[in-house]
Order: sequence, then C-alpha cells, then structure tokens
Amino acid sequence: MSVAGLTVPRAASPLHDRPTFRRLDLVDPYLLIATLLLMAYGLVITYSTSFEDVAAGDPIQFILRGAIFTALGIVTMAVIAYFDYAWFGTLAPLLYLLTLGLLVLVLVIGHNILGGQRWITIAGQKFQVSEFAKVLMIVVLAKYFADRHDRVGSPLVLGGALLLLGPAFALVYRQPDLGTSLVFVGIFFGMAYLAGARPWQLASLVAAGLAAFPLIWGLLQAYQRSRLTAFLDPYADPQGAGWNIIQSLIAIGSGQATGKGLTAGTQSPLGYLPIAESDFVFAGLAEDLGFLGAVILFALYAVLLVATLRIAFRARDPFGTFVAAGVFSMLAFQLVVNVGMAMSLMPVTGIPLPFISHGGSSLLSVCMALGILQSISMRRDASRLRS
Amino acid sequence: MRSGEQPRPFVRPYRFVAVGLVVAFLLSVLTARLWDLQIVQGQHYRGLAEDNRLLRLPVAADRGIILDRNGKVLVRNIPGFAVSIVPIDLPKAREADVVLRIAQLVGRDGAEALKAVADQRARNPYEPTKISTKPVSRDVALLLTERAELYPGLRIDAESIREYVEGPLYSPIIGYTGPVTEDELTQLRDQGYLPTDQIGRTGLEWEYERYLRGTYGWREIERDASQREIKTLAETPSQPGGNVILTIDDRLQNLLANELNAGIQADAFTQAVAVAMNPQNGEILAMVSTPSYDNNMFVRGITQSELDALNKDDRHPLVNKAVGEIYPPGSTFKMVTGLSALTAGTATRNTVVNVSSLSINVSGTSFFDWRVHGPLNFVDGYAHSSDIYFYTLAGGSPLSSVQGVGPEAIAKYGRMLGFGAPTGVDLPGEASGIMPDPAWKLQTFGEPWSIGNTYHEAIGQGYVAVTPLQLLNAYAAVANGGTLYVPHLLKAVDDTRGNAILTRQPEVLRKLAMSPDDLRTIREGARKVVTSNHAPMPNAKLWIAGKTGTAEFGLSSGKDSAGRNKLGFHNWFVSFLPQQDNTDPTAKIAMVVFTFDSSRSLCDSCLNPAIAISQRVYESYVLGDPAKKAELIK
Repeated sequence: MSVAGLTVPRAASPLHDRPTFRRLDLVDPYLLIATLLLMAYGLVITYSTSFEDVAAGDPIQFILRGAIFTALGIVTMAVIAYFDYAWFGTLAPLLYLLTLGLLVLVLVIGHNILGGQRWITIAGQKFQVSEFAKVLMIVVLAKYFADRHDRVGSPLVLGGALLLLGPAFALVYRQPDLGTSLVFVGIFFGMAYLAGARPWQLASLVAAGLAAFPLIWGLLQAYQRSRLTAFLDPYADPQGAGWNIIQSLIAIGSGQATGKGLTAGTQSPLGYLPIAESDFVFAGLAEDLGFLGAVILFALYAVLLVATLRIAFRARDPFGTFVAAGVFSMLAFQLVVNVGMAMSLMPVTGIPLPFISHGGSSLLSVCMALGILQSISMRRDASRLRS
Repeated sequence: MRSGEQPRPFVRPYRFVAVGLVVAFLLSVLTARLWDLQIVQGQHYRGLAEDNRLLRLPVAADRGIILDRNGKVLVRNIPGFAVSIVPIDLPKAREADVVLRIAQLVGRDGAEALKAVADQRARNPYEPTKISTKPVSRDVALLLTERAELYPGLRIDAESIREYVEGPLYSPIIGYTGPVTEDELTQLRDQGYLPTDQIGRTGLEWEYERYLRGTYGWREIERDASQREIKTLAETPSQPGGNVILTIDDRLQNLLANELNAGIQADAFTQAVAVAMNPQNGEILAMVSTPSYDNNMFVRGITQSELDALNKDDRHPLVNKAVGEIYPPGSTFKMVTGLSALTAGTATRNTVVNVSSLSINVSGTSFFDWRVHGPLNFVDGYAHSSDIYFYTLAGGSPLSSVQGVGPEAIAKYGRMLGFGAPTGVDLPGEASGIMPDPAWKLQTFGEPWSIGNTYHEAIGQGYVAVTPLQLLNAYAAVANGGTLYVPHLLKAVDDTRGNAILTRQPEVLRKLAMSPDDLRTIREGARKVVTSNHAPMPNAKLWIAGKTGTAEFGLSSGKDSAGRNKLGFHNWFVSFLPQQDNTDPTAKIAMVVFTFDSSRSLCDSCLNPAIAISQRVYESYVLGDPAKKAELIK
C-alpha cells in the first residue's frame, strides 16, 4: 500500500507526536464515561445470567473472567490512547498482512466451537481472531481512504477498497462466521459513505448484491439458510430453526416493564435460551431488567455513538475521521443487528453485542477501537475548534 | 467552523447528520418493538415463559371396576404402560426414524404411527399422541426409557388395560372402552379429558362413564428445555373411579348363557336372548344376548379385519338384542289384547267363545287358529293360546256376540304396559319398538287400518314389534300387580374404600290403570299355560307361570353367517315365578327367553326350546342355592 495522503494539512507523522499529559484534557469524557458504564453494565449482566445458569459452570468464574477482561480492556484502551494513532496508519500495510495471516492461521489450527473454527489459543487464552480482524480492517480501510480522501468518489478507489476487504471477508466467511463477515460489510458501507463515496455507487453495490442474492443463497449452508429465514415465521418450525427466536421473544416479552430482577430470569437457566451469554445476551438482559434495562442500554449506546461521531467530526486528519467512522459503523451495526435479531426483526446471524456479550476477544477488540478513538480525540487540533 | 480555518473537505457534515439520523431511526424501531414485546404483549409472553418452565403432568386415575350383585369381578384393570410421542420435542428430521423404531417395539403399524404423529404435529404439537394401541409390558417400557436419548419426544405413562373377565358373556351389557376421538375431545376437554384418554364407547362403560372414569390428579413440575424434571412443585393425587355394582347375578347369567349357547350348538336355534329381572323393583338379574363378541378385542386394539367380520355378521353380534333389536311378540302379546278387553270392559274372565272351527272368515279372508279348541273362557283361551279367542276379543268375530275392544284400546293399554317406547333401561341403543294403531298405519303407510290388522295385532303379529326387555317388563308389571318399573342394571356405585357413592332406588315408570283382579286373571292364565301342558314342563319342581309365543318373520331359508339354517321361526317364553303356587303378585323373578330361527313349532306339544330352557334355569337357579331358594320362594 502506497503512502499517498501527504497533501493533508498538518501531516500526521507518529515521529512528531509528543505524548504529554497535557493532552489528558482532550480525552473525550462522554466516550469514556459511556464506555466505563457499558463495561459495568456488561459485568452486571454477566453476573445476572451466570447465577441463573449455574449448570453452565461456576458463576464466580464467569464474573472473575469478565472483571479481568474488563481491567485488561481498560489498560489496553489507555495504552493505545497514549500512542499517536498515526502509528496505526503507518503500520497499516503490516497490520493488513497480520490480519490475513491470523485469519489463515485460525482456519488451519483454530478450535472448532459450535460448528465454526474461530479460536486460536495464545497463552492459555482463547482468542477469536475475527473480532480483532474487524478493528484491524477498520484501520486498514481508514488508511486506504485517507490516502485517497480527495478522490474517494472515484469508482476505482471504491473498487480498491473492495479488493482490500475481499480476502478478509472471505477468510472470516470460511470459518464459517457469517455474522462477522456481515459486520465487515456494514463497516465498509459506513466508512465509504462517511469518507465520501458517491451514494449512487454504494446504491449500485447494494443493487449488485441483491442481484447476486440467488447466487449467494446457493453458497450458504442449509443451517444458515434456515436461520436466515426463520425470523420471518419462527412458528413454521418451532422446534428447529424457529426455536431460538421463539424462546428469545418469550424471554424478552416476559421481562415486561422492569424485568424479573437480576438472576431471576428463567428462560436461560432452564436451557430455553441458547447461547444466552453471547448471541442472545440481549434477551437475557431484557428478561432480567425489562424495558427499563433495555432502554438504559440503548441510551448508553446512544451516548457512545454520538461521542464517536463527534470524534470523527473533530479529528485532525482524514485517517482519524475515517477510523472513527469505521468504529461508529461497527458498533452501530452490531447493536442494531444483535438486538434486532433477538426481537425477531432480523435474521439470526450470530453477532455479539459489544460490552454485554461475554467474551474477552470481543471486549478487548472494542477496547482497542475505543483506545484509538481516544487517541484521535486527544490529538485533535483543539485550538482550531475552540473559540 | 469559523472562517479563515483551513478547509476540512474530508469531513462531510451532512453525511454525519444522515448517518446519525439513520442510527437514531433504527434505535427508535428497536425501542418500539421492545415496547410492543414487553409492555403491550408482556403478559402474554410472561405466560409463555411460565408454560415453558412449568408442566402440569396428569396423574392417571384408575377406572372403576365392575362387579355383579354378589361382588364377583366382571371387569378389572391390568397394569401396563402407554407409549406416546410429544411432537414438539421430536425434531422433524428424526421423526420417521424414531417413530418407526418405537412403533416396531410396541407392535404398531409404522405408517399408522407416522400418520398419528404427523396429524398431532399439525393439530397441537405440544400434546402427546399415543403410539401404543394397547398397554405395553414393563420390559418394553424399561427398554425405551433406558435409552430415552434415542427417542426424543418419548413419553411413558402408566396405563392400565381393561380386562373383561367374562368377555362375550357380558359384552352386550358392559360394552368396552376406546380412545377418545378428536371430535369428542373438543367437547370433553372442559370435563378434564386428555387426548390420550380412554372413554366408555358403549354399554355400561359408556352409560356409567361418569362414575367409572375417576379424576386425574396433577403434578406440577419445573422442567428444563429437554423436558427433564427439575423438581415437583405441587401434587394433587388422582381419584380413582367408582366401582360399579350391577344388579346382575353372575350365577343366573351363566345358567342362561350356557343354556342358550348349548341350544345354538345343538342347532335348535341360531340366536337367542334371555333377560331375568326382579318384578318387584326392576332390577335386571341377567341379560344374555348371543352370539356376541369378545370386548377384550376392542381394548387390546381390534384389527380392521376383525371389525369387518363383526360388522358383516348377519347375527349382529355387536348389538345387545335384549334392547337393541325388535321382534314380533307373537302370542305373548295376547296378554295385552286380553288386558285391554278386560280393562275396557268388553270382556270378563267369564267371556266364552266357542272355537268351533279352525278358522274364521272375515271380509273374505280366513284367519286361522292352531286347532279347534271348542268353548273357551278367558283363562282357558289364554292358557291354550287360542288365536280365534283373542281375534274375537280384539275385533269381534262371526263365532261370538262379543264386541271387539278395537285397535285404539289395544294400543292405549299396550303403551301403558310400556310398548312402543324405550323402557329407560340404563343401556345405550335401546329401541322403542312399535305399538301401532290406525293413525300410525295411516301416517306410516298411507293406508287405513283393516280388521285383518286388528286380528294380527291381537296375536302379536303384523306391525307390533317389541324388544325382549319391553316384553319382560310388561309381564313383570303383571306379575307384581300393576307397577311398571324402569328396568336397570346399576345397583350401586362404591368408592374404592367400599363406601357407597350412590345406591340405585327402584324407579316407578307408572302404575297401570288396570284392576288388580284383571291382572290376577292374567297371572292365573299364565300359570295355566304350564299346568294345562300347553307349555309342557315335565317333572316341574316349581310353579312357573308364563306365556309362549311363536312368531314368523324374515327369511325362512338360507344360512346365516355361522352356516346355520335360517328357518324364520322364533320362539318366546316369558314367565315369572310366584313365591307360592298361587296367583298373588309376589313374584321376585321374571324371565324372558327368546330363541331366533328356531325349528318350526306351532303345535301344543311341539318343541318351543324357550320353555325347557326357562324351566331348567329356574330350577337350577332357585333350587341350586338354598339361600336363593329362601329368598325367592316360600
């Protein structure tokens, strides 16, 4: 990848970045507070659902694990924020190769969980490579668009971005992890739009995708197809493809206004709500804490997303703007799809809900992304924006 | 942005706003959906979550047993297990495999079982459908439960099978149980019936379903998604059904059945009915209808070919002929003709008709008697069963100045005696019989009544048709001095500890508006039927009174389903046993024996098999047991 974006005013060179404590006042407080509250909320939900489903394992173990990963996440976020995010831009070609390499590795030596090869073990911990791949691909795409920020409208640039994304998308899809590969698509569209791709080009891509739909449909596994269509009428096969959705709806609906109370839900402990700690974690949350708890979640996310957009808006350079745009797209996409899926508004694709779903890889990768966001916020040109 | 700043073309504010609005819109949609699920439909889903968690399992109640009046068990339950499938718990992909394997183990046709599961899945997949047609042994149940993981959706419940101890002997009375049908279930669900339930299909099993059935208990359990029981939350024990005690005396039932079956074996007749009752209260002491069927076939799962054979049999083995078929009463009906004339006052016990020829000619038609009797008074006319005597009492005749009582009066008193209407016996499928009169004939055939109709009716031929039970009940009313009871088979219902839940009291249908003297005249005539040797009872040890009857109807040629000759002649003997050799209305036992397709018997001394059968049964029953003898005669 060439480094062509040198026409940007105040070119960002990591070598010139002087990390000083002065910049701490430029940390985005809304983003930070929303992040910490969401992390805490995630721990509460972990506690609630773990104590319900004692059969799944020692609940203390889950909470401890969650706490450790939260702490690790905060450290990761701080460390990454400390460094100038421009380093990521500089290292983008390497990061790209690293991403593809890890994704190939996971296919070769990965652990098979629930029919997908998604994990590799490093130092006794299982890591879900595709989670990190999402953040790394945001950086790579942001660097690519930033280097061509004045001609993103060109079909060639958009085509190049697709070529960059293609291999990663294909490798994740091969795991198979349909959900994460769809997140890549969401990230791509969000970033391309905010980076300046022409709407008609994006619309053409969507149209092409729809036209190719029968072909894609043919490539899907039978279980993926039935999962994708089950949300249209879960009661068509209540015992099979519709089961998860029906049980998720029952969990959510039975939560009513204020929920059954922490650890008082019944759907997940009795085994009705499968994968209650990841894909359907929202159903567990809504069962235990009700409408109120879900709206609090939405509100925290709203703060997080608006703060992310603001960071994108105020970034010092296109790379920062585009990285923030990518993180925004990723978080918004995962929230909407995960929650929509639990409420049977969307097909079941298996996408975790950041912060709330258990899982260290998801949390750490989001923390990486948020660390980069804070780095962008801390290195914005404050004087220019302040009166 | 202030002016003078460096342009930041890579930031596109409108697009930021657009993206923000899209996400805000999507979050609103999610919130709206959440509102709908949790606030609007929350109660509904709360219920579903409870349904998920809680399972109310029925605890089966034992069906009551059935005993005769002396405590002999006629129907009992043999324990076993029912094998069912709950379709919701059986993944469709494994359906065929699992169902076929279970069907093979429980001995059910695979295609049938698959259809049952498919039907239940379409109907209500949460409810079980029974795969076993009959209770399976403990071994099979254990085999299935030990490998439960191989059979998702499997349910094993304790289930007992009905055992009809005597099979064909009591099947016309007791009937059988069978699985409740889907149509019935729509109505019965409110009464606590379940799709796997058995219900009385006919006979007393049907009639006394409400006592026999018992009440399900319930066990409320918390379960997980694999239907594993986590814990029992509440339990209500089941209440076994009541034990139904019949008025039937098994000894008498067997005496009659043995006689009738021996008669069929000896080719004396092809079908037969016998009913015995206590004229003083309407209790039915025995009721035999033969040939019948083995009701155990039905509870064990009757095959289509077995069922077809029963349905095609022209002897109607599935019908309780004591109440379900109607026959011309023949000369036994002379009691009605005579009582009508006596009660209406057109004749007295001293009315004499000189039967001086073998026939009378009225309106150009000859009406025959079976012999030239000479002068007969009422009692002798009845005792010798003179047709012309009763033609005369009914419609007048050229031989006498006696005025006929007429068909309307005969119909009126016939109905008073219970003809033309069900007796109200506690059995399903009771026929009304036909008690014709001129209006009936006009309505039914569009033709006016003729004198010939009156004559035929007078001797129990023509249109009049009765069930054996109706005939017996009418004679019982004569025997007891004028009270028509509702005949019944139920004596009492006890709970399992032997406490009476219900004791059946005698039920009077009506008091006959007839004089005791006239009734006594009939009893006198009936006794003379035997003493005059019209119904010969050699070496009689008891003072049986009765009336013979012979009727001719239907085919008198060909063979029936069992290959026996159909001679088209049918014999009656309806009788009662006074407590002493007198005409007092004290008889405690009355009996009707009807033999179908008997050999022809129109003469005084020719064989009417019903007479000899009645004599032997009375003597064995009354004299064979000192206690019975003390109870029935003085």
